[in-house]
Amino acid sequence: MRRSWLLAELGGPLDFWARDRGRLNELLALGDGELIEAVAGRRRAELKDRHASLGADELHRPPDVDAVCRHDPRYPPALRDAGAPWMLYVGGGGGRLKRLAAAPVVLIDGSSRASDYGIEMARSLARGLAAAGVTVVSGIGDGIALAAQTAALEADGPTLAVLDGGIGVSPPARRRWLYGRVARRGCAMSELPCKRQGRIWGAVASVRTRVRLSTLTVVVEATDAERELAPARRAQELGRTLAAVPGRVTSPLSSGTNTLLMEGAAMVRGPGDVLELLYPLSVAPPTVSVQATEPGLTARLRRVLERVGAGCDTPEKLTGEGVALEDALVALTELELMGLLGRGDGGRYVPRGAFPPGRWAAGY
Amino acid sequence: MLARAHTFTIEGLHTRHVTVEVDIRLGLPAFAIVGLADAAVREARERVQAAIRNSGFEFPARRITANLAPGDVPKAGPGLDLALACAVLAASRQLSPERMGSTALFGELGLDGTVRPSWGTLAVAQATRRAGLQTLAVAGAGAREAQLVDGVDVVVVERLASAVRLLNGGAADRLPEAIRRGRDVGRELPGPDLADVRGQRHAVRALVIAAAGGHNILLSGPPGTGKTMLAQRIGSILPPLSRAEAVEVARIRSLLGTDVGELPRLRPFRAPHHSITAAGLIGGARRGSIGEVVFAHNGVLFLDELSEFARPTLEALRQPLEDGRVAIARARHSAVYPARFMLVAATNPCPCGYSGDGDRCRCSEADMGRHRRRLSGPLLDRIDLVVNLDRPDAGDVGTPGTSSAQARAQVVAARERATARLRQDGISLNAHMDVRLLSKHARLGDKGCEMIRGARASGLLSARGEHRVLRVARTIADLDGSERVRARDIGAAIALRAEPSLAASRAG
Repeated sequence: MRRSWLLAELGGPLDFWARDRGRLNELLALGDGELIEAVAGRRRAELKDRHASLGADELHRPPDVDAVCRHDPRYPPALRDAGAPWMLYVGGGGGRLKRLAAAPVVLIDGSSRASDYGIEMARSLARGLAAAGVTVVSGIGDGIALAAQTAALEADGPTLAVLDGGIGVSPPARRRWLYGRVARRGCAMSELPCKRQGRIWGAVASVRTRVRLSTLTVVVEATDAERELAPARRAQELGRTLAAVPGRVTSPLSSGTNTLLMEGAAMVRGPGDVLELLYPLSVAPPTVSVQATEPGLTARLRRVLERVGAGCDTPEKLTGEGVALEDALVALTELELMGLLGRGDGGRYVPRGAFPPGRWAAGY
Repeated sequence: MLARAHTFTIEGLHTRHVTVEVDIRLGLPAFAIVGLADAAVREARERVQAAIRNSGFEFPARRITANLAPGDVPKAGPGLDLALACAVLAASRQLSPERMGSTALFGELGLDGTVRPSWGTLAVAQATRRAGLQTLAVAGAGAREAQLVDGVDVVVVERLASAVRLLNGGAADRLPEAIRRGRDVGRELPGPDLADVRGQRHAVRALVIAAAGGHNILLSGPPGTGKTMLAQRIGSILPPLSRAEAVEVARIRSLLGTDVGELPRLRPFRAPHHSITAAGLIGGARRGSIGEVVFAHNGVLFLDELSEFARPTLEALRQPLEDGRVAIARARHSAVYPARFMLVAATNPCPCGYSGDGDRCRCSEADMGRHRRRLSGPLLDRIDLVVNLDRPDAGDVGTPGTSSAQARAQVVAARERATARLRQDGISLNAHMDVRLLSKHARLGDKGCEMIRGARASGLLSARGEHRVLRVARTIADLDGSERVRARDIGAAIALRAEPSLAASRAG
């Protein structure tokens, strides 16, 4: 309790130190007294007094949010080391958190400004892993995190969401609906008291919680920026298994993930590869793609599908190769109805992986 | 002594019959005009007085009262001058009142007694016929457009003196030589040709479908892909105006103050800038002011950079798109104007413009969301075709595409088929089919039904989306000369309504 109160009070100085990720993490590993000494500046005496006299009822907490500290049996064992948060406010209940964190947990993370390829990969990974009973953990922000959360929830898999700010303000505010859906089946957690803003340092600090919670970290799409590679760097520091989804070499949006692969991260092409990493002794999943066995896929449609995969992803480009325009349009629609193609940015067609479209497409 | 003359006043697109009553009695010399006259009509006092004197007549030095009936209709514009002057002359017995009961007089007077044309002569000629008057006397320059209306004897009066001669049983003036010769001048130049567009077969095909069915179309693509170029060529593939449509268009132009002269053949093409306000687009800023949608009646309204238009402006388009008319209601006036047009819109796919063009797009999710919200909703619901344009391949730039003449022939043939089918339902374009007509004219085979069902089940189509697809499929079948709507028509129609399905999963 006191710890979370103190963190919320020290938001300003912590924001200052958040420019240096390593230093912030060191600070967060300090005890309460040392932390006040290190960053509180002129407010040292005042904060020490208030910290000593703080009563448990001073921090408002709605009844459906549990406070789980590191001495609580419900606290995930994976977080019981020096750099992890001391306590968590958990929407969805501490008991559920313990149960979900005990299953294999996979972090799906990446850029908040992802391409449609990245979104589609995040969706298909999250869907597949959730269906296989793996707990998906992620943030609640834009891009990859959002795609992973929604796709896992659509596959009826419980998810974990580590928020940047306190429960109730979960930035961005427009994601409240998602918080509600996560808390219904899974858990949403934060180390800050309810309704306290996470500011800048909260976004940096939540990365370490996410990485520690998970057995495996998958970076789907990330640029070279330090911010976007932060989960990967933490996983490397902590010695957790790191995996990345390959992207186009020429695409700046994939430069970070490609670098990770160069550095030795495991390559992930689909949910099967992740399961393979989680259960290395199990029988390898069949490598035949579902596309090839899809019933009703005639030679004509297969040719179009292959060409779309090869980059002829608009009707205009397809007709450039000797197909009549109307035939191309009809074939594209048939493939879309079979769930093998979707439409991405600028109306381009994107191959849709192994999963047929379910009710998720109609949900929004 | 009392005299009456007939004339008309113009309010927006409507003309109102006005009877000018003049009463002259003994008293101090005065000239009063009553009957809700605006500034231009009140100033007529001075013009009429000078014109009468300078034409060699006497302006009676008595108490003159002119009443413009009906008294509750505001009268605007200088077109009432001629009727006012003639009524004064008749009341002072300088002119025989016999023929004034069957003649409408419309024109502005100069101080020297010349008659100047006033805008809206075509509409006045139509109103003359409706009012049951046989003759309309107007200035030479307005006579040609008035003569476009059948059933009215349009005569030319160049001076007040000629009007008096005419009303006394004499002959009218002849149409001035310059105007008669001008008949061949001002013929409309055809717009730019579709053959100028290289590549973009997909978009060209969509444009032809849109023109054939009268469907609204949205072109979306990065800068420099030819959205505007394509949209500007849609006029060249639309069929020419029919006579009834041309008269409607000419009437609107005439009321705008444009010299019409002959019936237009090309459809109107209006392309307002995106800074336009809702009142500018719809009308109603002042009493009688007309918006761009009305000028686009029977033609094309092109909105370039659709996402840059203010939200209220776009929302205001909903009624004209739905009903083909605008009903304007303000505190002091209300009016209904025709506005049946084809909407052609162009937009960038995202704020920076490069979404989908490799990895050039630098827009954040929030930017994309804002952009999408601005376009989404009820307006997109009324757009049947959404086409994404690509940067053309270098190889395509050399090959000429379909020419406007070829495309227009296809469009005309398809429209004829649609018109023949829809004649008994009172409409002529596939785009105007409602649900009932769709179930009658766009019946599907088993395979087509299955396709629609699949698209509905997978969330690709909403109920309204299904109707749009059926309408477009009907047009594609018409273009191919097919009586039935085939499964392949449905497939192509679904592909021509490019809604990013993935985008839905990114928006929060």
